[in-house]
Amino acid sequence: MTTVIMRTTARIVVPIVLIVAISLLIEGHNLPGGGFIAGVLTSTAFVIVYIAFGLDFLERGVLGRDVDPGKTPSRDRVVVAYRRLFTVGLAIAVVSGLVPLALDHPFLSQSYIVLEGVPLYHHLEIASALAFDLGVYCVVVGGLLTIISVVGAE
Amino acid sequence: MPPELSVVLAVVTAPFAVAGVTPLLIRSLGEKTGYAGAAVAAFCFALLGTQYGSEGTVELAWIPSLEVALRFYVDGWALLFALLASGIGALVFLYSPAYMHGESGLARYYAALLAFMGSIIGIALAADLIAIFLFWELTSLCSFVLIGFHTDDASSQYAARMAMLVTVGGGLFVLVGFLLLAFVAGDIVGPGTSAFDLAAMLDRPDEMQTALREAGLFVPVLGLLAVGAATKSAQVPLHFWLPNAMAAPTPVSAFLHSATMVKVGVYFVGRVRPLFASLEWVVLFATLGLATMTICALLAVAATDIKELLAYSTASHLGLMIAGFGFTSILGAETGVFHLFNHALFKAALFLIAGIIAHETGTRRLDELGGLRHDLPVTAFLTAIVALSMGGIPPFSGFYSKELLFEATVEASHHHDLGPLDWLYPAVAVFGSIFTVLYSLRFLALFFGRQPDSLDHVHRPPVILLVSPAVLAALTAVVSIDPELAVRAIVQAGVDATAVDPGAHEMHVGLPTSYSPAVGMSAVAIGSGVLAYPFYDSIHRSIRSIPRAVPPIGANWWYDAITERLTDDGAWLASRVHNGLLRTYATWTLTATCVLALAGFVATDAAVPPVGFDPASLTGLDVPIAAALVLSLAVVAGLAVVTADSHVAGILTLSILGFMIAIFYILASAPDLALTQLVVETLVLVIFLLVVEEIPEYYEVSLGRVARDAALSVLVGATAFITVLLTTDARPAGESAIARYYTEHAVPEGGGQNIVNVILVDFRSFDTLGELVVIAVAAISILTLIVMRSRGDESSVAIEDAEGGSANESHESHETRGESE
Repeated sequence: MTTVIMRTTARIVVPIVLIVAISLLIEGHNLPGGGFIAGVLTSTAFVIVYIAFGLDFLERGVLGRDVDPGKTPSRDRVVVAYRRLFTVGLAIAVVSGLVPLALDHPFLSQSYIVLEGVPLYHHLEIASALAFDLGVYCVVVGGLLTIISVVGAE
Repeated sequence: MPPELSVVLAVVTAPFAVAGVTPLLIRSLGEKTGYAGAAVAAFCFALLGTQYGSEGTVELAWIPSLEVALRFYVDGWALLFALLASGIGALVFLYSPAYMHGESGLARYYAALLAFMGSIIGIALAADLIAIFLFWELTSLCSFVLIGFHTDDASSQYAARMAMLVTVGGGLFVLVGFLLLAFVAGDIVGPGTSAFDLAAMLDRPDEMQTALREAGLFVPVLGLLAVGAATKSAQVPLHFWLPNAMAAPTPVSAFLHSATMVKVGVYFVGRVRPLFASLEWVVLFATLGLATMTICALLAVAATDIKELLAYSTASHLGLMIAGFGFTSILGAETGVFHLFNHALFKAALFLIAGIIAHETGTRRLDELGGLRHDLPVTAFLTAIVALSMGGIPPFSGFYSKELLFEATVEASHHHDLGPLDWLYPAVAVFGSIFTVLYSLRFLALFFGRQPDSLDHVHRPPVILLVSPAVLAALTAVVSIDPELAVRAIVQAGVDATAVDPGAHEMHVGLPTSYSPAVGMSAVAIGSGVLAYPFYDSIHRSIRSIPRAVPPIGANWWYDAITERLTDDGAWLASRVHNGLLRTYATWTLTATCVLALAGFVATDAAVPPVGFDPASLTGLDVPIAAALVLSLAVVAGLAVVTADSHVAGILTLSILGFMIAIFYILASAPDLALTQLVVETLVLVIFLLVVEEIPEYYEVSLGRVARDAALSVLVGATAFITVLLTTDARPAGESAIARYYTEHAVPEGGGQNIVNVILVDFRSFDTLGELVVIAVAAISILTLIVMRSRGDESSVAIEDAEGGSANESHESHETRGESE
């Protein structure tokens, strides 16, 4: 499926998809969205890259590394980064749950603060749940991409 | 005097704490770690000593919401058992370094031994049913690790598995018994007291028994607890694991399989005795105990290995204790408590002596040993004391407790109407005792007679190996000379705690001065034993020939038959359920899910149409045109999937269905759900397209398989349909309380206008965390399955490499073959 049409479309679509995904993550607390949806959408962007440019493109084209072409999933593919991502995500989620414990609140209790007079936004709410949502996002992206890249390499 | 909570907690936790740091101790102390263990055990013993004479309950909250607490009850019986465990533990730790010299895996050995000691002290002191169960199973686990100490030895693994299966299985019976007991006790112990509080139940034994009988649970609970105690204490017909457990190193056998763990069942029977004392109790436990005592004494005479002889003898003596507790008279309690005490001392010493013999001669076979008194004079002297005590020869300690059993059997008919059992109990007790005398003399004979030529040079044991058996033999000698001393020190307190009627009763033991039925029984037993000893070899051979002629008479045969059958059936079932074909997995999973869901509906009567269901109300269904359009498009797409002539067309039409559902969500004003559905649908579509390239274009599918798939599809569809109908119907009219709560609290407490997201990351974030773990685990398992698939079996990798690119094709064609089978 690595046709010119596919590649050109991917070049335009992927950045848009990524930006939408990130906005879904950040706005998720007040508008439709959230860590899970943003995570799945980000994974979709990566999958489009995979389909349009092949499995090795991220390694060779973006990161400039040298890899053996072939079907066997090797340990030095991007998989390592994905794997790290979902570990980090799980850690963020757990730590964000443990912080309230240190402040003498139950595990995973959340709070928020409202900032006034912020440039562009004027009125901005920062919820502690965003940290947890970021953990959700990382786990979903890391987990799905690990599965997809490993299965896709088969 | 009430006990001290801090002291009790320290005694129970210290062994576990040191078990945790054993690897570090091994690194710094090496083989001398055993002495550190001895110090821990001595520390526990000393701390327990400070509680001597105290009685009462102390507790520490553990799971307050379930009323489960780390509750400890200290009285004479608990202290007796805990002191025995820690005291013999100290001697076994002292003995271990010399015995285990040069062995590998010492960290595991000492850690398991320490953890075991902690659990056994825990059982002795715990008064909460859940805590007792926990410690009960912990002892089984430690025993498993210790029996299987020689991990590369197949017989050792077999023995460890057997012990695990029997004792942990018995533990499950105990758990059910405990739950039933707690169920009944809830009303008796009253509010404010936990239903798991055994001490509170023991305070009201009569009310408990009446309540159990009214609930019809008396016999079931008694039976369940009896099965648990019988597995743990190796009672017939569940005794077979104990001789096999002798695969463990000898100090383990001395500690776990003679002095403490196997006595847990006896200890517990003594503990709950006041609750259950009745005719059923007598018939069950006296029969069980006396049968075990006799059968295992016979088997001990048939043994060919010194540890096997001691193992069967242990089971036989455990039977004696169970029988003692089985009689509800005060004599029964005296028998059980005093014999438990005596047996722990002399049998642990005998095992340690057996260890010395095996260590110095290199063999444990009875017919290869003899005349050892020349080479091992000190050991011979110690053996004489403890072996004669085991045989119940006056004036050695075992005689007194066995005399008590004889008296209890004779007096049993005074308390209950037993029918023919009235004279059968004393007769069986005497018959079993004859064999006890026989095998005790046989063990002692190892040191006398002619030394076989094969034993050319026997080493003198190092002094450190002799210390522990010498201490135990000395204690046995003290009890033999002045049994009243032991009674005053600890046994009387144990008897008071296990007696059925709490009235004070002074216990007296001593050499008989006048004739009584019990004296006559002792004389018959010892006299017949001594007279029959010259014919030991022929008795030995004739008992051995019975199981050889009729294999099913042995319990071991049944164990082997059952486990083999289970293994075979398991393999057969596995080949049906997971045979490597994806469609088989899908069939089982989907069928099971549907059947369970439907069974759930039926069980809760949800499947019955609600009363007042009016078909006419269907005509008034108010469906917006847009929704109807979208849903009918989805139905058309669903039909198109089935008739699609290629995989790609099928997948694309399937995704139409998915997108239509997303649009339906938008129409139903659920934007978050719609967004998720859209994104997931897209991702799934892409993954499908990736995978579809690997699937063969066309393959043959048999008619039967098509029928099965069709039936399955209909079942899944019907289940989904019924579920939707029932769940939407069951929804309360209007806004439910929980929905209102979320709507009202989302903004002020969660700080977000998107309620779905606030629920996910705030109100119910613990659920979300669980789901995250699921995703991570799924990713890890796929990674492991695929990336490491080739690592385990190096040869298959080589073949795959040799075949190069064709490996994948051959794999596919194999699967295709599998499909068409």
